[in-house]
Amino acid sequence: MTSTVAGRTTAATANGVGSSPARPDGTRKVRGEFAYSSDLWHEDMLWGATLRSPHPHARITGVDVSAAVAVPGVHAVLTHGDVPGLNRYGLEHPDQPVLADDVVRYRGEPVAVVAADHPETAQRAMKLIEVTYDELEPVTDAEDAVHGDVAELHPGGNVVRHAPIRRGEQTPQADVVVTGRYEVGMQDQAFLGPESGLAVPDGHGGVDLYVATQWLHVDQQQIVAALGLTPEQVRLTLAGVGGAFGGREDLSMQIHASLLALYTGKPVKMVYNREESFYGHVHRHPATMYYEHGATRDGRLVHVTARIYLDGGAYASSTGAVVGNAATLGVGPYDVPNVSIDCWGTYTNNPPCGAMRGFGAVQAAFGYESQMDKLADACGLSPTEIRRRNAMSEGTVMPTGQTVDSAAPVAELLDRLEGMPLPQPGSTADLRTLPGGVSNTTHGEGVVRGVGYAVGIKNICFSEGFDDYSTARVRLAAVGGQPAVTVQTAAAEVGQGLVTILQQIIRTELGVEQVTILPMDTSIGSAGSTSASRQSYMTGGAVRAAALKVRGALLSHAATRLSRTTAELHLDGGKLASVADGVLADLVDVLGEAEFDETVEWRHRPTEALDPETGRGNAHVQYGFAAHRAVVDVDTELGLVKVVSLDCVQDVGKALNPQAVVGQIQGGSAQGLGLAVMEEIQTEGGVIRNPSFTDYLIPTVLDMPPMNIDVLELADPHAPYGLRGVGEPPTISSTPAIVAAIRAATGKELLRVPVRPDHIV
Amino acid sequence: MIPFEYRRADDVSAAVDTVARNPTASFLGGGTNLVDHLKLGVATPEHLVDVSRLPLDDIEPGPDGGLRIGATARNSDTAADPDVRSRYPVLAEALLSGASGQLRNLATVGGNLLQRTRCAYFQDVTTPCNKREPGTGCSALEGYQRYHAILGASRHCVATHPSDMAVAMVALDATVHVQGPNGSRSLPAEELHRLPGDEPERDTVLEHGELITAVELPPLPFAANSAYRKVRDRASYAFALVSVAAALDVDDAGTVRDVRIAFGGLAHKPWRAHRAEAALRGGPATDDRAARAAEAELENAEPLAGNAFKIPMARGALTATLRRLSPLPTTR
Ligand SMILES: Cc1cc2nc3c(=O)[nH]c(=O)nc-3n(C[C@H](O)[C@H](O)[C@H](O)COP(=O)(O)OP(=O)(O)OC[C@H]3O[C@@H](n4cnc5c(N)ncnc54)[C@H](O)[C@@H]3O)c2cc1C
Ligand code: SF4
Repeated sequence: MTSTVAGRTTAATANGVGSSPARPDGTRKVRGEFAYSSDLWHEDMLWGATLRSPHPHARITGVDVSAAVAVPGVHAVLTHGDVPGLNRYGLEHPDQPVLADDVVRYRGEPVAVVAADHPETAQRAMKLIEVTYDELEPVTDAEDAVHGDVAELHPGGNVVRHAPIRRGEQTPQADVVVTGRYEVGMQDQAFLGPESGLAVPDGHGGVDLYVATQWLHVDQQQIVAALGLTPEQVRLTLAGVGGAFGGREDLSMQIHASLLALYTGKPVKMVYNREESFYGHVHRHPATMYYEHGATRDGRLVHVTARIYLDGGAYASSTGAVVGNAATLGVGPYDVPNVSIDCWGTYTNNPPCGAMRGFGAVQAAFGYESQMDKLADACGLSPTEIRRRNAMSEGTVMPTGQTVDSAAPVAELLDRLEGMPLPQPGSTADLRTLPGGVSNTTHGEGVVRGVGYAVGIKNICFSEGFDDYSTARVRLAAVGGQPAVTVQTAAAEVGQGLVTILQQIIRTELGVEQVTILPMDTSIGSAGSTSASRQSYMTGGAVRAAALKVRGALLSHAATRLSRTTAELHLDGGKLASVADGVLADLVDVLGEAEFDETVEWRHRPTEALDPETGRGNAHVQYGFAAHRAVVDVDTELGLVKVVSLDCVQDVGKALNPQAVVGQIQGGSAQGLGLAVMEEIQTEGGVIRNPSFTDYLIPTVLDMPPMNIDVLELADPHAPYGLRGVGEPPTISSTPAIVAAIRAATGKELLRVPVRPDHIV
Repeated sequence: MIPFEYRRADDVSAAVDTVARNPTASFLGGGTNLVDHLKLGVATPEHLVDVSRLPLDDIEPGPDGGLRIGATARNSDTAADPDVRSRYPVLAEALLSGASGQLRNLATVGGNLLQRTRCAYFQDVTTPCNKREPGTGCSALEGYQRYHAILGASRHCVATHPSDMAVAMVALDATVHVQGPNGSRSLPAEELHRLPGDEPERDTVLEHGELITAVELPPLPFAANSAYRKVRDRASYAFALVSVAAALDVDDAGTVRDVRIAFGGLAHKPWRAHRAEAALRGGPATDDRAARAAEAELENAEPLAGNAFKIPMARGALTATLRRLSPLPTTR
């Protein structure tokens, strides 16, 4: 865009909001030159190792570290007694021991940590630690944990949270009623970079920690409490993050490495291997859901009744918030007059579960979208028609009583999906397009095609009254004859491209091309977590607000010097310009020696807690919507599924970076495909049976089809630039759309994801 | 991982001697299976004799017109060999359906044959497993069973052999050449792997110190009409739930003159389907007869609670494979 004014032209700053400039970290990542947290190195550093419980539930009766301590090269072997502060941590409740004291509640729970001068020495010493256990009966079923006669795993019982939602009539009458029991298996975030970090003691009792995480400040709070230090003594810097998807919201090695570093006086590095990583982070809550949908004969929803059980595993993590989401979003993107939902999050002796992309909303969507298809069948309507008849829109009142006050284009998403061309029948020439792919299982015989639709809803940003904010500092000065901006935040770049977005925002607001994003650390205030699809909204909002303050200060500085009013001035393409006279000066000259430096703490509008009895409350700040159409070919003879196409329409409010939006939609859809047909952590009696990428299957390029993606930009007036969080919604509708398509092809009920060949043959 | 000594062998008999004389020594091929087991603590050899650079990697015509594949030929090279591809496509397909390109570049014929089960309990040293620690019990009997056996298992072990390549070799009537401390011997590939019986710790009939030197494929002209099909949870890079290797010889009228069939994923060894072969010979290769042949083979199947799906899956896989190899119009 150019504006021609008074014969002089200012070129709009390139690479601003709405464009897709190259990522600052892109080239290095593609070339393998980017330093991830596992590449951290320090002269003289020690290597940490973690001894973990082999039992899902046991009482510790003794720990003998003497043999381990005696190993040459070992500098420290620490157990719970060596934790100087509170031996508990947790995102929402501090219920998880840093190192187990009396009881272990899941297999893989840390019991002791070792530091040695070589990783292999640390591993060997670790194996010499003798721990004696009295094994206890594990609690492994979430429904039993709530209603059954089982051991209480924590004081106060096994219910982490029960969230009821009540709206309208509680004993409604409907012409058509469909019910179902649905299950969602435990999914892993499967990020590629395992947990790792480096703790460096400062020689004065404090520590600097370099770590791959999602939320520096909440890590810091928990570490400080465990170490008995002040926040000034525990400084965190974000190291290169190899993916997160929620799995880095909880602590892994942070306290352990810091503890070892302080104890030994030496830098300590810890890196999990893949197997340990499966024990070292939380997973997606497995769910069991009982749904009843009632409708009029013509398919208008009368009521939804549901009981949802989410297995939180051994410790609370973010179970409370996951329960809140599953409950409040439990009817999906539909207008339902009468609702009765009960959602429980429980303690069991399964691996702890917490945040994962789409959390709470993913599980519920498999339930309610399966039900919508059943209802469509019962009413003789098409899957899209039943959804359109019940689609929510702007102004719809949610089951919580909250009015949706910005675009909710559910019907339009469906219309656009239906308008997309359907893929041609599979070509038998290219095996990769057929079920089984290059396994040579079919050349087209026995293959049946099915089509399925699903829509999903997700809350964006933190909900339920949480004081959600982000802090940003923006500094503008002339550097080397050019105007240059540095941006400082504590927002974790986990691979999603936030650093690019922040640069774009500065270019748009200050007309400055050269933008440096400083390393993210705790020397500035919190940015909140890189989760809940919130960083573009929150840290983007904070950076924009700080940039506007800088612009305000700069323009009044310039206005005074040039005897103009600030209202007539603007910044573009490195120039100061006026509406009437075009370019007035190069920005670098206006700046001179001056420096503009502003820090802002930015909040979205407040939300409310849910009423604990009725679930009423304006709990969410924004809703995001996506819809998928899946086309599958199923080899009914062998039970193999090929997802032939997976098309998506999503409203993103405003695409700050269109390429990043498409990337999020592709990635989220792939993760949904994984849950639909292959991804599951197999647990048995609380023990993970497939803690490796050989046995835990994630989709490869051969499993993921090309996608048609249609992005709507219906601005949300409450959000910066009108944007709507992008990252999670595409994960939510992908899974039920694929399963619906498999049902359409096979006629099978398919009440559980992932769907496996076993369920089809 | 326990400390071990590593030595690269440059001579077959010295390698055999070193390992045969030392019960804590092991051959090392490409290491793609054994090194994993070292890390997991499943294998604890104190001496590794690396045989992967022995001059045993030739693929050349055998004396009787077959094909002799050296034991250290890499899986990628074997799959790419022009003779293998044209004369024994089932073997090339089986190899290419296994593992990943990177792994196949390292994996050897000998190591592939002797790779061990993927049973989750076998790989988890904290659980009882008769194969890893005889007498401790079989965790899979009450556990996770999707990948386990439905044929020829015992109450001591219900594991399956994971190799794809071996299934093709068994179907092709291959011969395995072995060099031991007391000389060399040859045995049919079908007899290399054992059923678990009450000694599940023994995967094969080989004695400690016996080195596989080559696998020989007989001249089997109709093997040019052969295929490998693998049913798995993901389109690539996953082990078989069920697989079929088949070669089919039909006359112009569509009558089966001869056929070779072996199943993977069903048993403790690649399962040569003699009953199915007999049921097919002499009649047309229709879907119906293929299904009935599979049923004849699976008549004695004893599925576990968690893997009954393998019966219809194996039937489907055999039907689909033969349909592909048969010139008859499909009858579905
Ligand atoms: C992630 C992953 C996925 C895989 N997927 C598949 C799959 O889908 N299908 C499949 O078939 N396989 C698969 N594999 C297994 C792979 O094929 C084997 O690991 C490989 O073939 C083993 O060959 P190697 O030479 O590396 O054996 P090594 O690991 O070196 O050795 C294996 C065993 O053979 C012994 N040995 C090696 N050479 C000889 C010899 N000449 N004589 C006697 N003993 C010998 C060793 O002592 C050891 O006990 C997979 C492996 C991995 C890691
Ligand atoms: S099936 Fe065999 S390998 Fe698996 S646990 Fe049982 S004995 Fe061990």
